[in-house]
Amino acid sequence: MSILADLKSEMKAPPEGVFYPDLLRARGLSASQNETNVNVRADGISALFEMEKPFIYGNDLIAGSIRGYFFKITPEEEQFTKEWTDKYPERWFFTGFDHYAPDYRTAVNIGIPGLIERIDTSLEVNRKPASVALLKGMRRTLEAFLVRVKRYAEKARSLIGSEGYDDSRLTFIALNCEALLEGAPKTFAQGLQLVWMLHTSFVAEKRYAMALGRADQYLYPLYAKDKENGILTDSFCEELLANTFLKIVEFRYRGFDDVVNIAIGGVDENGDTAVNDLTYCMIHAVRDVNLPGPNLSARVSSNCPDRFLDECLKSIGTGLGYPALMNDDVNMAALLKKGYELKDVRDYCMVGCIENFMAGKQPPWSDGRFDPIKYLEAILRDMPGEELDAIKTMDDFMELYEEKLELGTAEYISWMRNITKQKDPDDHMSPFISCFCECCIERGLDINNGGAKYPSAHGAALMGIGTVSDSLAAINRLVFDDKALKLSVLAEALKANFEGYEELREKCIAAPKYGNNDDYVDRYAVWYTSTLSDMFDCYRTLDGGPVYTVMASNTSNIDAGREIGATPDGRLAGRPLSDAASPTYGCDKRGVTSTLLSVSKPDYTRSACGSVVNQKFSPSVFKDGKREKLAQLIRVYFARGAQEIQINSTSRAILEDARLHPENYQSLMVRVSGFSALYVTLPDAVQEDILSRTQHEDV
Amino acid sequence: MVLLNVSCIQRFSTGDGPGIRTTVFLKGCNLHCPWCHNPENISPAPVTLFFEKAGKKESYGRMMEPRDVANDVLEDIEFYKKGGGGVTVSGGEPMLQPEGVSELAAILKSAGVPTLADTAGCVPWRSFETVLPYVNDFYFDVKAGTPAKYSSFVGGDLALIENNLRKLVLLGTNVTARIPLIPGFNDSDEELKRIGELIASSGVAHADILPFHRLGVAKYEAMGIGYTYKDTPPLPRERVLRAAEIMGKYAETGIE
Repeated sequence: MSILADLKSEMKAPPEGVFYPDLLRARGLSASQNETNVNVRADGISALFEMEKPFIYGNDLIAGSIRGYFFKITPEEEQFTKEWTDKYPERWFFTGFDHYAPDYRTAVNIGIPGLIERIDTSLEVNRKPASVALLKGMRRTLEAFLVRVKRYAEKARSLIGSEGYDDSRLTFIALNCEALLEGAPKTFAQGLQLVWMLHTSFVAEKRYAMALGRADQYLYPLYAKDKENGILTDSFCEELLANTFLKIVEFRYRGFDDVVNIAIGGVDENGDTAVNDLTYCMIHAVRDVNLPGPNLSARVSSNCPDRFLDECLKSIGTGLGYPALMNDDVNMAALLKKGYELKDVRDYCMVGCIENFMAGKQPPWSDGRFDPIKYLEAILRDMPGEELDAIKTMDDFMELYEEKLELGTAEYISWMRNITKQKDPDDHMSPFISCFCECCIERGLDINNGGAKYPSAHGAALMGIGTVSDSLAAINRLVFDDKALKLSVLAEALKANFEGYEELREKCIAAPKYGNNDDYVDRYAVWYTSTLSDMFDCYRTLDGGPVYTVMASNTSNIDAGREIGATPDGRLAGRPLSDAASPTYGCDKRGVTSTLLSVSKPDYTRSACGSVVNQKFSPSVFKDGKREKLAQLIRVYFARGAQEIQINSTSRAILEDARLHPENYQSLMVRVSGFSALYVTLPDAVQEDILSRTQHEDV
Repeated sequence: MVLLNVSCIQRFSTGDGPGIRTTVFLKGCNLHCPWCHNPENISPAPVTLFFEKAGKKESYGRMMEPRDVANDVLEDIEFYKKGGGGVTVSGGEPMLQPEGVSELAAILKSAGVPTLADTAGCVPWRSFETVLPYVNDFYFDVKAGTPAKYSSFVGGDLALIENNLRKLVLLGTNVTARIPLIPGFNDSDEELKRIGELIASSGVAHADILPFHRLGVAKYEAMGIGYTYKDTPPLPRERVLRAAEIMGKYAETGIE
């Protein structure tokens, strides 16, 4: 067996107890001799690093586990922990906590000692008490982090000679960790060790969806140097990466999978392709891990080599579904419109599922759900019948809908800003993560309080582009074009969930649907994207950042659908809305090329966060000789201005059989909008959703 | 006005020629191969299939003007142009509708999109002559090397087929021979040898072997008709490789 397979089986046994790093944090908070809020917090974070019991697997090449944060907690300990963590509550997703890509490039380039030096320099110039306190807190956590690294080195040395361990691997780990105490990493393995130790430290802070960012770029100089010096081969590099990425799956001990985005490819600071040999190692490593957790995103620029796309498709064809393919040209154009510097835009990555992010240059990401269909529903539900019938043209109807949407966006923004305001930035500082955000050290400011180079960006996740477009097309066709239906009658039918209106429902279903390259309906998708982006462009986050639109619903389209009654496209009450930026499942009937022609019509340079289009292909399309056709398909689709495609290569027959015999499909991977998951673990509704995606069979 | 009897239009058809293609399936066939995987396209009459398990109903067959078919398939022109793709006419037997195919292919040619005809070749030579100004690529079925097998099993005239095949090659068109590998019908070494000799003597440079599959079984059930090959398992991999080895002596051979 390979080391990776051995590590996999070693990881099968879950740790005892529950993930409870707060116990250590509470101990640190309670023991703190500091008075200033941020310094007490720094003591809390430092305790995570100084009191953890390091854990090293027998098959580790790169060390760093979250097992040291699992405890069997007594009621007394629980009460003690709660008492202290309540006094120092953390931020959460909506208020800038996780979904962040740390500035690993600087960390790898200058090492933790280098960062500490920078803090000391900043302390000499930033004399404001608040900045001094923060900088001292930052310094405190970095020193504690080095203690964590040192304890891992000591643990590795102490295990030498133990059963189940390999002495040379333990020495390798110890040497790599010890090197990090002295300065910047000097080898690829040391660089990776540093990044992984930092990542698990963020997880110990209870952060989720922390991205590794452009690992094929910031680790490349070390990789290239090692290759030149003859101390690294690609197969060993892939082994180190897989050994590391596999441990992302430890998160599952907490009961769910992490979504750790790794952005590969893209362009360099000059705009030339950035794909390099390390890029391919990353693809192979994620493929070898073959589990959800490492969420690989490929920045596919128009100038990327064909081999890059081919390697991506090979990986997708294994059934893994990774990487998601992002149109780099469109993403960069979208981010440039938001005012970021060109060199920073060229260096963007993704966090979470697909969210475009200025790595290490802006506060953590947040987003919320916005349901445009709700406002269409409101018109048809609340307006008296005679007023509805007084609407004479589709243009008038659209004007009315836009008015409602404008109110809706205003309401959404108030909600978003109110939530953000709940956390006073002065009392909720994050000294550790601030060390890994550009400008925080220099300015002596917290990541969420003006420290980051750019202000926070918020994403308004637009639900149901397909449902809305299809509904508007049905209204236009039946009410205004054919004049075969009164709007008031349609409204009554929707209220009745089409009961007693079955014939009308058939007509609604027969109306043109998004995803068939039919401008009659596709124009509403175009309208949807630009109109809603225009509306959200009027607003800013509390610290002055942009509000992006997002068309990547993840699985929220199912939740959103539960709250929405029957819709004019023929959808029944409570059913899922169309997913992300995809057409309504099963409504794109003309084949994948038509689907992609439709889906590439909206202007995605308005959707700065990103969008998701799910497509399924039969595994046979991924064979040698056929795969290039898939690559051509994607190249044309991207050249037309589409933003994203993620591909599921699992055949429908397999998915159906897996529902009947889940025991035979324990490792079957599928892509749920935005990430890969084990199919048998998904709730029924999600399984059905995947099944109903139109599959493009290779006949 | 010439109309095409269209069964269905299938986009991103990856098994019907080079590049990204759209396949236009035409209705009506003059052969009756018992292993046929497109039974819905044999009769020229419209047909509706009821797929009971999936609870689905599909109808095939509508008369369309070549111009309308062209407009439909030309929506994908960007995809065709990316990597030498185009349009494939299949069936059924597309060469039974030579005027319509010719008109369609002419429109496509003027747009710079090549048309490939997937034919069993059992038609009067005149039919080929009609399409030749606009169609240069052919997938040409060679199902057997023995005249009796052709006449009794599939109802075809091997002499006519062979004659057409030779002429197409002589005229310099791009012909790929397609050999459906059918268990018990043409998969013996002797029969394959005869097919190989026929192909070689016709001057065809490339042959594809299409191993038998029974994916069409659901269609037979949906049409309420019996299927001789319902219980025939797919050929073992070694058998397919052996066939490719034999055929490889006569032409450059691929397996689809």
